[in-house]
Amino acid sequence: MSWRRYCATSNATIAAGVEFAHVLSSGDIVLLTGTLGAGKTTFTKGVATGLGVSDAVTSPTFIMVREHRCANDRGIATLHHCDVYRVGTLDEVIDLALGELVEDAAVALVEWGELASSVFGRAVLTITFDVDDEDGRTLVVAGDLASSRGPLLDRWAS
Amino acid sequence: MALVLGIETSCDETAAAVVDEEFHVHSSVIESSLDQHRAFGGVVPELAGRAHVTTLGPVVQRALVDAGLNPHDPAIEGIAVTAGPGLIGSLLVGLSAAKALSLAWGVPYIGVNHLEGHLFAPLLEQSDLEWPLLTLLVSGGHSLIVRQSGPGQHEVLGETIDDAAGEAYDKVARWLGLGYPGGPEIDHLAQEGSPGNLKLPVSMTGEGYDLSFSGLKTAVVRATQKQKDLSVADVAASFQAAVAEQLLRKVALALEHYPVKGLALAGGVAANSALRLGMTELAKEFGIASHLPTMANCTDNAAMIAAAGIYRLRHDGPSAFDLSASPNWQLADVS
Repeated sequence: MSWRRYCATSNATIAAGVEFAHVLSSGDIVLLTGTLGAGKTTFTKGVATGLGVSDAVTSPTFIMVREHRCANDRGIATLHHCDVYRVGTLDEVIDLALGELVEDAAVALVEWGELASSVFGRAVLTITFDVDDEDGRTLVVAGDLASSRGPLLDRWAS
Repeated sequence: MALVLGIETSCDETAAAVVDEEFHVHSSVIESSLDQHRAFGGVVPELAGRAHVTTLGPVVQRALVDAGLNPHDPAIEGIAVTAGPGLIGSLLVGLSAAKALSLAWGVPYIGVNHLEGHLFAPLLEQSDLEWPLLTLLVSGGHSLIVRQSGPGQHEVLGETIDDAAGEAYDKVARWLGLGYPGGPEIDHLAQEGSPGNLKLPVSMTGEGYDLSFSGLKTAVVRATQKQKDLSVADVAASFQAAVAEQLLRKVALALEHYPVKGLALAGGVAANSALRLGMTELAKEFGIASHLPTMANCTDNAAMIAAAGIYRLRHDGPSAFDLSASPNWQLADVS
């Protein structure tokens, strides 16, 4: 099962992120897949807004994981924004221990996460970003965890 | 003359230096694990951490010997070490070493903010420079415009809202199939190309001082997908021109609003030829001094950490032993 949403502009990508925050539950790992400039960080900015993050969401590429405190009534206290663009081996992703990080009232959004999807050891949500010729983005949500969020994703996609 | 040992391991450079209280550099040793990372097109965090473990001991020893000190019991006033921002594994290697040496030698140590270290780089070359200063700090992990009223007194006017300038260089270089680090590769190619053949959007046109490079990166990706006949040199020239245009426009805007006595450039992207030229011209235009430290002082090094550490030791006193590394330590939180 998969859910689609079209975003014509970067503001629409942010709005998709804001609303996607309501699909998330504590403990979720979301893998963001798309080429350079497909809108992964832009989408994450929206999710952060939706989760009540007040500090700036900037690229985590340099330090791999940026931690943001959240203020919401959904039991999600922390957003881990990760980027595995630079990792050399899967061992390094295991070292990040994302599965443990999200156990503590947190969620993780992982850019380039498909490179390491085999090592997370739990059901995840995936979002694929496809860019068309008009610079619009089609976001497709899937993953083992997606079907359990059916009604929420129906609303997100409509 | 009181001496401080500086240690820097926040990214891929393992560095140690000895600096005195007047910011004279007595020794500065830098070992880079760059060659190991080149094959991967970027710094590999785990490799960086491991490399620091094996190189830090010898690097510290050499810095002490070069400064004419006894490497087993050096006559120093303290140890300054980068505590953040940076890669957690890499930071911990330096921080743990500094704590151990502090205990062994019975001298205080202090955790220093890496970005504040960069701000001290111009002082290593000219300790009597005139304040206030406006500094453009651009590297692989950071991009900020900072106003300094004196050493250790700084106000962040603007910073990147997405990618760092050097990070955008690295990602565009990787997209174009060039080597790592991306800055020198693109800078070199840009000399052969013409920026006129690819129009990139003018970004961040508002009144604020924040910076953004993600849109330029995306524009390059889209343009090269649509126009297959673009030469890589022309793309490099366009990208380089667009990055420099935004940085210099924002610096000029800040100079108009905040009168300063000097303009400084810091961070690894300070090696960029377009940026060095543009900053020199801006300083001339505004009739102020320009401070373009040598590359050894602009890129990650331990002398700047020692210099910032001297200031912080005198003003804040030593750090406690339970200090932990802060991978996301913002300059705005240092006071």
